[in-house]
Amino acid sequence: MSLVAQSLELTRGVPHLNALSATFERGKLTTVIGRTLAGKTTLMRVIAGLQNADSGTLTLDGKPFSTHAAWQRDVAMVYQQFINYPHLNVFENVAFPLRKKRVAGTDIKLQVRAMLEQLGLAAFAERRPSQLSGGQQQRVALARALVRKADILLLDEPVVNLDYKLREQLRDDFRSLLKTQRQGIIIYNTTEPSEAMMLGDQLVVVHEGRILQTGLPATVFEQPASALVAAIINDPPMNIIAGHLVGKHIVAGDGVRLPKPARFNGLADGAYRFGLRAHDLSLKNNGIPGKVTFSEVSGSETFIHAKTALGQTVTQVAGVHIAPLGSDVSLAVATESLFVFANDGDGRLLSAPNRGQR
Amino acid sequence: MDQIGTRFYKLSFLLPGFLVLLAIILFPLLFTIRVSLSGWDAITPGLGWVGIKNYLNVFGDTRFWQSMLRLSGMAVGSVLIQYVLGFALALLVWRDIKYKRFFRVLFLIPMMTTPVIMTVIWRTILHESLGPANDLLGVVGLGPYQWLTSPAWSIAAIMMVEVWQWTPFMFLLLLAGLISLPREPFLAAAIDGAGPIRTFFNVTFPLLAPVSIGAIIIRLIEASKLIETVYVLTSGGPGTATETAGYYVYIKGLRDFDIGYAAALSITYLVIMMILLTLIAKLLVKFMLGDKPQ
Amino acid sequence: MNGLVSFLKYAAIAVWSLFVAAPLLWAVTTSFKTANGVTGGPTYIPWLQYEPSLQGWRTLFGGAGGIDIVGPYIDSIIVTLSATAISIVLGTLAAYGLSRYDYRMGFVKNSDIVFFFISQRIMPPIVLSIPFFLMLQFLGLLDSKLGLILVYVALLLPIAVWIMVDFFDGVPRQIDEMAMLDGLKPFEAFWKVVLPNSLPGILVAAMFCLIFGWNDFFFAFTLTFTDTQLLPVAVVALNSSVTPWWSLSASALVSVLPLIVIAFFVEKLLSRGTLAGAIR
Repeated sequence: MSLVAQSLELTRGVPHLNALSATFERGKLTTVIGRTLAGKTTLMRVIAGLQNADSGTLTLDGKPFSTHAAWQRDVAMVYQQFINYPHLNVFENVAFPLRKKRVAGTDIKLQVRAMLEQLGLAAFAERRPSQLSGGQQQRVALARALVRKADILLLDEPVVNLDYKLREQLRDDFRSLLKTQRQGIIIYNTTEPSEAMMLGDQLVVVHEGRILQTGLPATVFEQPASALVAAIINDPPMNIIAGHLVGKHIVAGDGVRLPKPARFNGLADGAYRFGLRAHDLSLKNNGIPGKVTFSEVSGSETFIHAKTALGQTVTQVAGVHIAPLGSDVSLAVATESLFVFANDGDGRLLSAPNRGQR
Repeated sequence: MDQIGTRFYKLSFLLPGFLVLLAIILFPLLFTIRVSLSGWDAITPGLGWVGIKNYLNVFGDTRFWQSMLRLSGMAVGSVLIQYVLGFALALLVWRDIKYKRFFRVLFLIPMMTTPVIMTVIWRTILHESLGPANDLLGVVGLGPYQWLTSPAWSIAAIMMVEVWQWTPFMFLLLLAGLISLPREPFLAAAIDGAGPIRTFFNVTFPLLAPVSIGAIIIRLIEASKLIETVYVLTSGGPGTATETAGYYVYIKGLRDFDIGYAAALSITYLVIMMILLTLIAKLLVKFMLGDKPQ
Repeated sequence: MNGLVSFLKYAAIAVWSLFVAAPLLWAVTTSFKTANGVTGGPTYIPWLQYEPSLQGWRTLFGGAGGIDIVGPYIDSIIVTLSATAISIVLGTLAAYGLSRYDYRMGFVKNSDIVFFFISQRIMPPIVLSIPFFLMLQFLGLLDSKLGLILVYVALLLPIAVWIMVDFFDGVPRQIDEMAMLDGLKPFEAFWKVVLPNSLPGILVAAMFCLIFGWNDFFFAFTLTFTDTQLLPVAVVALNSSVTPWWSLSASALVSVLPLIVIAFFVEKLLSRGTLAGAIR
């Protein structure tokens, strides 16, 4: 029981879809992660019937779906812009889809009231959307999408335009709210790895209109199919270091020699790309030297961006760490945590660290 | 927005209006072209084919070419005056002025009035002995002028009426443009210490260039149809001194019933107008947008 | 220095205000004159310079030296309102289509279709009047209100399309998309969601249609004779060599009065920024 997209192609307009195939299972929340303009929104619009793919098909529970018009599809969508009906008040906005479905007046009242209550909007029922804050407007949009109990619910980066605090709050609400819709198909677009990991039962990684990897969030995180996937699903992005395997050593960047872990023994000597998460680099005296290019404190962590012999790197350090621009740093690499990717297009995964070792 | 199942709706939105306009406009236009190739006149009505004979006659018709030239001069001249005045007025009531809204309404009124009807009133005003124009100018020692009987003053009179009627239109578009302008460039200019004149030439005028071009082109299109004011105010006279292309076609077609020839005249008129307007539009865009600093 | 600039500003405003108001004020004072008040040379102030009379205003309802304005007034209202209504309906639908859908046919794109609509405004009335004359004759609609309405739709439809395409482009299309996802077919979405959010645009378009429709003279003049007579034609008919200026002025004033009201609406929309295309 699922929504299946098969070889969707869309070449007019940007972003394209490129032979995109994916399965979205019923009762699960699938997060679609990809950079801006990766084709996430386009995919949703095709699923919703708002845009026509050049070729390819959609089937829902085995039955053809692509021939239905948007208004026949039972799809609800929440846009990243806060889209509501400007001429209707909050109550009528949420009641709108129910009125169309000819739900009885008293039921509408009950359902809408309950929904508004749940989303903390009860006090604003009489207001126009334009009189609400961005977060409240997006809640109204969400309420309207949820109240329908639509078969397919599409959430297109719903929190991206909100400030940090509201984003956290609304994201928490999603987890509980979406549980009430678990008989349907839920797809959630995001550019943020943490959001994708936290919300998704399934993860789909999209890049330039094609699917790079599908799987459980943890699996994708542990075993990214390629260097490209690793870059997309890590925040800060995984360090990708060019290098070679030479005998018992790894020669990385501008000739930094590192011991080769036993895990790499099956790999022939030659050029590779090595992946290293930011928290697998650390500060250490007499390590690999570099100069700080940028540093940011996020919560209780500090990210130090530096130009080193390994190339441009980002290091995650616990605690607040003052690293002035241009100052010297010295880094250590946890070699056991290195990913090895092939030195080809996307950088196919050849070896990933064992679980628990990272 | 290319969607499943929308083809029917897509066509039902556009087609009614499109087909109605096509039927009402395209048929007459094609018909006029056909008529222009016929010898239709008061004596022998009908579509008797004469080839391009009418067009050859148009070519040698100096009265027509003079009226075309006169029309171009009057249209360009009056539109330029309207633009300068309209811009000045819009600037005057744009910001801090007492009774701003009253003056805005007042300045808009002429474009709401029926041009021919107001032209009839203007005719009484410009009456050489009974009208107030010469009377009031006499108080300050000017005139009397032969508003409607001397060639030069008749042209001036027509242009004045056009300016009275249509400056409000320029005013409206430019004021709407001014009101919608962002604040930041003006703040930046103020911080740079630019005076009102420099602010106008460096900020206001360039920012309004697109609106200006639009407004001028719309007005030129309308002005190039000039006929009603001429008909009421001077009937093309004295002699043919104020005869515009449209008015000449009117005389040939609907007064002399030389329909085939009038049709050839109107097609020539239309084609020349479209060429000139396109040229002017291109030049305006080039000069007002082309040499922008950015 | 500042005082001088300010003085010049108000002086310029005053001069232009006077110029704008002059013809209307002249018409007002003339409408209360009689033959004596006119032929003795220009006079301005009633009682002081001439003895005011209601003769001009009485002739509005028939009588010597005037026209019965009631018939033309009703004809003008019927023709203008019908043509405006038809143009707004057809124009709004077409503009919505052009704003939302892609009509690619060969090398013809949406912008070309919009240009086709707008380009009709380039047609000089005289170019169209001869074929219109023959066409209406063929249809038996010469000298009829229906014929004029048809012609006016051609004049006004481009205005409606022009204004509304711009307006709809400013209404976020996600609103209609959302309505369709909520189960509304395109017509329903247009009617229930797009239209209620487009009223200012429709108002502006309707105002321009009213102005251009009510104020047309040439087509009414060439396509109607006796059965149907619109206001401008009726008033201009008084413009003979022995013009009764008093009844001319009175009828001119009542003819232009209704549209002057529009100036107030336009100013209101202008001050709110609606006209500038800045929606909400």
